[in-house]
Amino acid sequence: MNASAFSVFAENNQWSVLWPEISLGLIALILLLLDCFLPKDKRSFVPGLAVFLQGGLFLAVSVFFIESRGMDAFYAFNGLIYMSSFGSLLRAFFLLSSLLVSYLALVYFKKQPLPRTEFFHVMLIVTAAMMLLVQSAHFVMFFVALETVTIGFYVLVAYCRTSAFSLEAGLKYLILGALSSALLLFGIVLLYGVAGNPELPAFTQDSMSFLSLQTFIENNAHNALVQLGVLLVISGVAFKIGAVPFQIWIPDVYQGAPTPVTAFLAVASKTAGFMVLLNLIQGPFASMEYLLKPLLSAVAVVTILFGNMAALSQQNLKRLMGLSGVAHAGYLLVGVVAAFHVHWAPLAVLFYLITYLLGSFAVFGVMAHVAGEQDEAQELSDYQDLAQRNTTLASVLTMGLGSLAGIPPLVGFIGKVLLFIAAFRAELYTLLGVSILGVVISIYYYFGWMREAFFRSWHAPQEAPVAAIPLSGVHVFILGLLAMLTLLLGLFQNVLGWALF
Amino acid sequence: MILPDVLFVLFASLTLGAGLLVVLSRNTVTAALLVVLSFVGISGLFLLLDATFLAALQILVYAGAVMVLFLFIVMLLDVEKTSHILPKKVSLVLSVSALLVMVIGVTYLLMESPSLPSVDLMPLDMPDAPLGFPAHAKAFGYALFTKYLLPLQTVGFLLLMAMVGVVVLSKSTAKAPEPTSETK
Repeated sequence: MNASAFSVFAENNQWSVLWPEISLGLIALILLLLDCFLPKDKRSFVPGLAVFLQGGLFLAVSVFFIESRGMDAFYAFNGLIYMSSFGSLLRAFFLLSSLLVSYLALVYFKKQPLPRTEFFHVMLIVTAAMMLLVQSAHFVMFFVALETVTIGFYVLVAYCRTSAFSLEAGLKYLILGALSSALLLFGIVLLYGVAGNPELPAFTQDSMSFLSLQTFIENNAHNALVQLGVLLVISGVAFKIGAVPFQIWIPDVYQGAPTPVTAFLAVASKTAGFMVLLNLIQGPFASMEYLLKPLLSAVAVVTILFGNMAALSQQNLKRLMGLSGVAHAGYLLVGVVAAFHVHWAPLAVLFYLITYLLGSFAVFGVMAHVAGEQDEAQELSDYQDLAQRNTTLASVLTMGLGSLAGIPPLVGFIGKVLLFIAAFRAELYTLLGVSILGVVISIYYYFGWMREAFFRSWHAPQEAPVAAIPLSGVHVFILGLLAMLTLLLGLFQNVLGWALF
Repeated sequence: MILPDVLFVLFASLTLGAGLLVVLSRNTVTAALLVVLSFVGISGLFLLLDATFLAALQILVYAGAVMVLFLFIVMLLDVEKTSHILPKKVSLVLSVSALLVMVIGVTYLLMESPSLPSVDLMPLDMPDAPLGFPAHAKAFGYALFTKYLLPLQTVGFLLLMAMVGVVVLSKSTAKAPEPTSETK
């Protein structure tokens, strides 16, 4: 055994480059300790502290991203982690979404008598794991980070243990998540095994690392075991992004999970899945284009059509958000396919995900306020007369839904246009046509929801006026900020464009 | 070289057969014990590959600790014999035939193309590769605490989070009625 090689490995562990992830882990530990040792009457400030610390970290990460923009990418931790400014941007993205999830959670916990600190603890660790996941360049790191995310979500989805729906959702997510992890792991193992075979050209001894695998797969792209392994890994990732035929869990889990967790799943988990997919098809699986391009194109077509068709008849709004999220995953897959030919397509995908974050959190924020005590029963009919009950909520909802549907002055439109230009440049005309068809279908259910809020019902004049929903200034500010951002970024994309391109 | 082949077939069929019986068995305790049997088969396969440390871990951790825990839980829960929901005939036939098609297809693909050139199974002699073939506990330890220290730490957080999650999900939230002044 070569001991000096190990000391080189040990010296290559530059922990300081992972400061955002480590800080998140420390914050999670501090929250737990505070909850243990503080007297009972002083614990109520712990969630606020969590939000405050996350906000500070978000600012720090954003400043770091702006400072280090255009830095040279490098491998850290002996090739386990790939650091780039794109990765820094993703860190800021995940922190922003965890910050918004914390806000939703604060609203949610006002209505549900549940333990709070543990929710933030699990959520922070999941966020840190997502950051590691999108920056990993080695299947060991990749799998550990992915499992941390998934197991955290098992807990979060079942968090409302007084609700049978939440427990059912947790069980379904657990079983199907374990199945998808098994598929993914089997794929990784097949690749590991075949890449270590000394009889094959360009075999490697570190056959978990993306770099070595890339060289190996370039030389053995038509090997049956490589094909099988790549297929299984892609299937495992497709489960996370909810692409057809791995979308089966989405409606039930989205409905049963607490609303903040639904938003977290819809935005952050999906983003992590897409970034991993892009990392894979631009790194180790780049030479599998002959197999993956037709496969992902077919999946994208079915996903767009299925998501939109299934969302048409939904009355439960959390299911509707889930199924329309499937459709969004389809549009994003078009961008992923375009990334085989257009070098800026991954940035278009991230831009779309940012618009999806703004639109989704605006809608979920309104949902968290309108929801009653039964979190899973948020029906379309609950939104009747929302405009009379609270004008702010109704307008924020309209902005969010309009952005998700892709209506011109809002940022969702720009996101869709960017994706479609990428698809056009990559000459994916069929996919482009299907996506536009999907967008047209989606307008029906998004606008149906708006119509419910504004125009639907008629009241006899002698009837009592509907109860108003009280909304304090802080909530108006946060929701208004999200709505303003969807509008302003739709008009001036320079800020985002500067960050991305 | 006939003995390793015979042993391989023996352990492989033990693993797969026990695994199949786990799925088919109606009794949870039987299923848990069959999982132990399947793990023993896997550790036999590890032994054949000279991975003695992994084989020992497989028995100690999985067959020993984890499955005993499973048995405890199964017996503590004391699940009554529940009514069986048999799968529909159509879906049963479809899924079994899809499985067969996949197994035959993959086997055919692997036999047809030279995707797996045969290698004589022997420890690779790689003096320059410190992580080449970690058969011993020492090599595992070195690798875990140098190259794979970051995943190891992440797993630590994972376990902490899972533990917190289990406590939160299993803790009874129903508050005990507060003693009122009348009862005193």
